Amino acid sequence: MLGWEFPPAINGGLGVACHDLCKAMTAHAKVIMIIPQNTVGFKMDNCDLVGLNQVNSLTLPPVNQAYSSDFFDDVNLIPANLNPYYFEEVKKSNPERKSHLRNISTEGSTQNISFQIDELYGKDLISKVIEFGNIAAQYALTKDFDIIHAHDWMTMVAGMKIKALTGKPLVVHIHSLEIDRGGENSRGPVFELEKRGMEAADVIMPVSDFTGNIIQKYYGIPAEKIVTIHNGIRPVKAYRSEKPFKEKLVVFVGRLTRQKGPSRLVDIASKVIKHTPDVRFAIAGTGEKSQTMLQKSSTYRIGNRFHLTGFQKHENVQYLLSMADAYCMPSVSEPFGLSAMEAVQFGVPCIISKQSGVAEVLHGAMKFDFWDVDRAADYLINALYDDVLKKKIVKDAYRDLENISWELSAQKVINAYADFNLY
Amino acid sequence: MPSVCFYFQVHQPFRVKPYTFFDIGVNHSYFDDEKNKIIFKKVAEKCYLPTNKKMLELIKRHKKKFRISYSLSGTFIEQCELYGPEVLDSFKKLAETGCVEFLSETYYHSLSFIFSKKEFERQVKMHDDKIKEYFNQEPKIFRNTELIYNNDLAAWAEKAKYKGILCEGVDRLLGYRNSNFLYKPVGTKKIKALLKNYRMSDDIAFRFSDRGWTEFPLTADKFSNWVHQIAGNGEVLNLFMDYETFGEHQWASTGIFEFLDHLPKEILKHKDFNFKTPSELVSENVTRGEYYAPEFVSWADVERDLSAWRSNSMQEESLNRIYALESKVMQTKDKDIIHTWGKLQTSDHFYYMCTKFWNDGDVHKYFSPYDSPYDAYIFFLNALSDFEQELEKFLKKKPAKKKEVKLKIIKEGSETKEAADNVKKIVSGKVAKKQKV
Repeated sequence: MLGWEFPPAINGGLGVACHDLCKAMTAHAKVIMIIPQNTVGFKMDNCDLVGLNQVNSLTLPPVNQAYSSDFFDDVNLIPANLNPYYFEEVKKSNPERKSHLRNISTEGSTQNISFQIDELYGKDLISKVIEFGNIAAQYALTKDFDIIHAHDWMTMVAGMKIKALTGKPLVVHIHSLEIDRGGENSRGPVFELEKRGMEAADVIMPVSDFTGNIIQKYYGIPAEKIVTIHNGIRPVKAYRSEKPFKEKLVVFVGRLTRQKGPSRLVDIASKVIKHTPDVRFAIAGTGEKSQTMLQKSSTYRIGNRFHLTGFQKHENVQYLLSMADAYCMPSVSEPFGLSAMEAVQFGVPCIISKQSGVAEVLHGAMKFDFWDVDRAADYLINALYDDVLKKKIVKDAYRDLENISWELSAQKVINAYADFNLY
Repeated sequence: MPSVCFYFQVHQPFRVKPYTFFDIGVNHSYFDDEKNKIIFKKVAEKCYLPTNKKMLELIKRHKKKFRISYSLSGTFIEQCELYGPEVLDSFKKLAETGCVEFLSETYYHSLSFIFSKKEFERQVKMHDDKIKEYFNQEPKIFRNTELIYNNDLAAWAEKAKYKGILCEGVDRLLGYRNSNFLYKPVGTKKIKALLKNYRMSDDIAFRFSDRGWTEFPLTADKFSNWVHQIAGNGEVLNLFMDYETFGEHQWASTGIFEFLDHLPKEILKHKDFNFKTPSELVSENVTRGEYYAPEFVSWADVERDLSAWRSNSMQEESLNRIYALESKVMQTKDKDIIHTWGKLQTSDHFYYMCTKFWNDGDVHKYFSPYDSPYDAYIFFLNALSDFEQELEKFLKKKPAKKKEVKLKIIKEGSETKEAADNVKKIVSGKVAKKQKV
């Protein structure tokens, strides 16, 4: 398996999903997980967790360049600050493209040159991706394995290269696409890479049918190659907390980027609050839309009811959910939406957009088209004030939870391997 | 005989702490005591104490020919009481010389004149009482927050028996005229307006240490020459500025204290020139024209209007929300609640939310304790949300009945005066405690 985000280095859902799927897979197969960075001491049973930062590239065999992936070979790279999963601490881009291979040998030891990056995204992301691909391929040649399983575009260079060098089947797992992040007209190197990667793949595993459809529609991939593997959810010890205020609480958790529809959330909130003033909205997350949201909420004069909490660590998010009376996710394009599942675990009724993967597995939820502000506001008010309805949704959602787990997801992956005769 | 009139604004706000959503309903203290203390102590050390010392020295050296005036906001005086009584003492010493005048303003350095006349008058009264208490002066001259001014304010000040009012000498209102005369505000009979000469004031306040300025370095000698040039075309020179100019905005290393040290001497070299306090100016000079300000003007930013506090939706939302609480706050009759509400009205909170990132953006940023105007807004609104909630709770919890009970107890127990006092103490102590919870 080839991963990018991995605990403890997590920005969004990708790291969690990769880790949990990987862990569940180990019950069925021996997994070698190659990631850019690993901290000493982080281990998993029945799994070789390989952080390239810990691999001395000098000890790896050279790669026959004839088989190298040609994807970026004739491309002149412009150093750019790519930040596909928005997070704040992006440092200023360095105008020079540098190698991420660094000599970390200490005095007296043999020379040790390994893959070292300060942050997973940001500065020179593309060159990091290419270099990761080269070293991961070199490393893969020293191992015995049957299937290459790559997660998202950051690992696709590596995946294609290993396939070219070994002839082993390539599976690409799609957690998020450039089309989700940038809108349906997104093009550019990341889109190109995603397209090539999926074309080169033997099987594509999107996290939802919704994403599978995008793969067909925008990337021209035949449906036969696509198998949806819905995400699972990690069991959690849910609890309820008393709110320190009397108003009802609606929660949203996620990056405040175009993809999540945060601006429309302000419209929905405004409608709800105008109708029933005793509702507060708490928005946990950060992103480029936060200023727009503040300007909008103050223009709507709901500033004292619409709260941006900024990025919150997981335990705070759980605390929020434990107080919440409803969860609202108005995503424009959401491959899955793990946060909604978490809300369900905390017994919170979910009002989610139909343009999300989680809508396919969560029947106990009220679903609206992301542009339908009136409908969403109406659902919210009902979920907040109609106890019968609320109880019914939550009960149905709990039932959905029984059919969702990482073990089931892993089993589906293994079945798909077999169906496609990958080993 | 042209007079130079120095007026310094001395103000510190109670800055709101980074008050998060998770504090709402849990944490009822909104102000960043630690930061306010640190800033006050820093400014006291760099500016208030050394500058007051210098001013006192200058007044003595020039045998009371050097005169100045101050407007100390109520929140500033309160911070003196909390963090630096020695600063207050040094102002008292200045007051004792008889060469220093203290002006009237709103206690909380607020925008209340724009939003609620009733609240505005309450704050002005509160402030004047405080000045009387500490400096034994009854302010005769009015100066509104950040020189916010219009015809109505002048009319109000006249009605309130003030002799003079300070405002910005705004070019667009002056036209061909200059600010170096006293003016009669349109719609008034007796009150006189003192207009700030912003060019010469800003030469000291903003440009003093600007190496890109063609007049750099500014010496007392050079500046006095400019001052003397107004002879024949002016009767007053109003130099209004933040007191923090000395030592804080312009650090000691820029030579600002040396400049100040030499300035009175250089100005007084010209026999026709003297220093006057605003009260002396208005009693000794006549007005030479009318000043017509139908719209609000101020001394802030290049626009010289209200845009520093009222140019975006976040500021409007915050201001509207805070003033919408007036009747409820007053209904509580609770000293602490009313005081907290007042402290939340301080204009600085809204100044920090300003998103005019061009021209004056840097100035706003320099003064802001927050990373961004958005943070300023978020923290303020969170705190306000809690305040609103506490207010509601208080009003619900405190029905008229309780008061009756309290009175009854006192009556029943009032056989002797001593006993009555004791009961009073116990009851009020309990009530106070309950209110705090």
